[in-house]
Amino acid sequence: MKAVNTVELLRLRGAVARVPGRSFGPFDVALSTGERVAILGPSGAGKSTLLRLMAGERPAHGGEALYESHPLAAWPAQRLAQRRAVLPQSHAVAFGMPVELVVGLGRIAREPDPQQAHAVAGALQAACAAHLVGRRFDTLSGGEQARVQLARVLAQLWDVRDGLLLVDEPLAALDPGLQFELMDALCSFVQTRGHALVAVLHDLNQALASFDRLWLVQDGRLVADLPADRSALAPLERLFGIQLRCIDGDDGRVAVLARRGTPASTGTALAA
Amino acid sequence: MNTATATDAGGAVMPRRAVTLAAGPALVLALLLALAVAVQLGAVPVATSDWWVWAGDAPATGGAYVLWELRLPRALLAACVGAALGLAGALTQGLFRNPLADPGLLGVTSGAVCAVALVLTVFAASAAAVPMGWRVWVLPVSAFIGALAVCFALERLARWLTPGSVAGLLLTGLALNALAGALVGLCTYLATDEQLRSLTFWTLGSIAGANWAVVAVLAAALAAALWQSRRLAHALNALALGEAAAAHVGVDVAGLRLRLIVVAAVLCALAVAWCGLIGFIGLMAPHLVRGLAQGDHRRVLPLAMAAGALLLVVADTVARTVAIPAEIPVGIFTALLGAPMFLLMLRGMARQQGGHA
Repeated sequence: MKAVNTVELLRLRGAVARVPGRSFGPFDVALSTGERVAILGPSGAGKSTLLRLMAGERPAHGGEALYESHPLAAWPAQRLAQRRAVLPQSHAVAFGMPVELVVGLGRIAREPDPQQAHAVAGALQAACAAHLVGRRFDTLSGGEQARVQLARVLAQLWDVRDGLLLVDEPLAALDPGLQFELMDALCSFVQTRGHALVAVLHDLNQALASFDRLWLVQDGRLVADLPADRSALAPLERLFGIQLRCIDGDDGRVAVLARRGTPASTGTALAA
Repeated sequence: MNTATATDAGGAVMPRRAVTLAAGPALVLALLLALAVAVQLGAVPVATSDWWVWAGDAPATGGAYVLWELRLPRALLAACVGAALGLAGALTQGLFRNPLADPGLLGVTSGAVCAVALVLTVFAASAAAVPMGWRVWVLPVSAFIGALAVCFALERLARWLTPGSVAGLLLTGLALNALAGALVGLCTYLATDEQLRSLTFWTLGSIAGANWAVVAVLAAALAAALWQSRRLAHALNALALGEAAAAHVGVDVAGLRLRLIVVAAVLCALAVAWCGLIGFIGLMAPHLVRGLAQGDHRRVLPLAMAAGALLLVVADTVARTVAIPAEIPVGIFTALLGAPMFLLMLRGMARQQGGHA
């Protein structure tokens, strides 16, 4: 379901990320408001690196990374933070802060911020973390910490429209029931506000169930940009070297059952 | 102010909030009490009437002189230096996202002492060439340069050698400490008898050289640093999320880092320039108040100042009175108190990490 008037939010044009001993890219991607994209690929393929390039956390060597047509590096941190939030993979927070302070940090670019209490409370509710208020962040379990961090980025974009949310494996540490609940919460959050959502995921069914497009990453390259439907299954099989059996869901979405096996052609066909 | 609204998200935390709110006044009260006791204790008794004799009046004698010219400036200097070290410690720990990052352990204060030692001995001739009126600033400025140099070196080296590692940071600090220690040793070796005496004063740490001018300078610097750090406090909270995440919520991380380093270096340098090497206050003070402040730097910073002041006033009073008429350098006391505390904190951290693994 796309918004009626979509505007281009983010574009990578020939962007390359260099880490010691390796380079990722060049990546060419474009993203508009209201779009939901899942980044999939084997471990170490460069999913998180692609996300960091889009976040401006890694400089784009060669090529460019644009947000609303301006180079990411030229955006003042404070203004960018008012329209774009990033949820990194690691959740460590120093100094034993209480949950509500951690979530409130998402609002720091807006001081003074009359919406603070409202946004923090709403975000905690949406991320199923309202019961954790008053607890120290560093005493929470991994799954609870993940929810609080999710609440922090929701609070950051609580009262804006047409922003961008970049998340790196937001549901990895959660039990299955909560995964469904939080994915629904995340989707309705971005849908009602017209935000674009880009998520690095490991779970194929989450990607197929809740996203519009799939970006497949392999060996540091973007090898495919597909709609999240039945047509994505063959490329996914080749990407992971597995067999997928398709199950049709009630809502028109497809779900898959992954099995060990050799797909007809290996991943090399995709990379070529 | 929306410091209050930040913690208003839930009502279930009321008891702890009450403790947090009471912590500030309680610490200030304790500090005033400690100051009052500190000026009473000593070889010469101070009568209540001595309080009503102003230092500027006719040549004060006996108790009044001791009170106004010796004990009061000294107690206030101890409070100022303690506050400066407590604040510098809290800022350094916020910068490195680690409660064990004490400016002393990291070599920042050693860098200041090292610069002072170099100026006192190797560059004594050029320091003597400074016009008389400016000479009082030679040591503070050189201490500042030394502290700043170590801060920047530490930041760069630790980031380059062992990115993100706490152990790596402390070990880099250890190496810089050793380097500064070696240079101080070299200065000691090259020093004349007279130079050696002033050098020993710096490396042991003492508040004996107090006077009203120094207290005024330190108090002014402290006020400026507090004002500056109030503006940095919430950004420092965001830094606890990690540098990348702090940038994503809108903090100019590079600018914040630079300002933190400069403020911490100024505070350490001021403390070292007049009182020499007083260790562990920067470690203990923030640690004592962090629980009370629930890790929120908007409260941690002022509370760490109050706690640092309290600690050093008490330590100096003990150092001054425990062996009357002799006086023990206060740096020895803070180290005796601080080193076991560091070990306790280390154990606490190891336990916490073990519990989560």
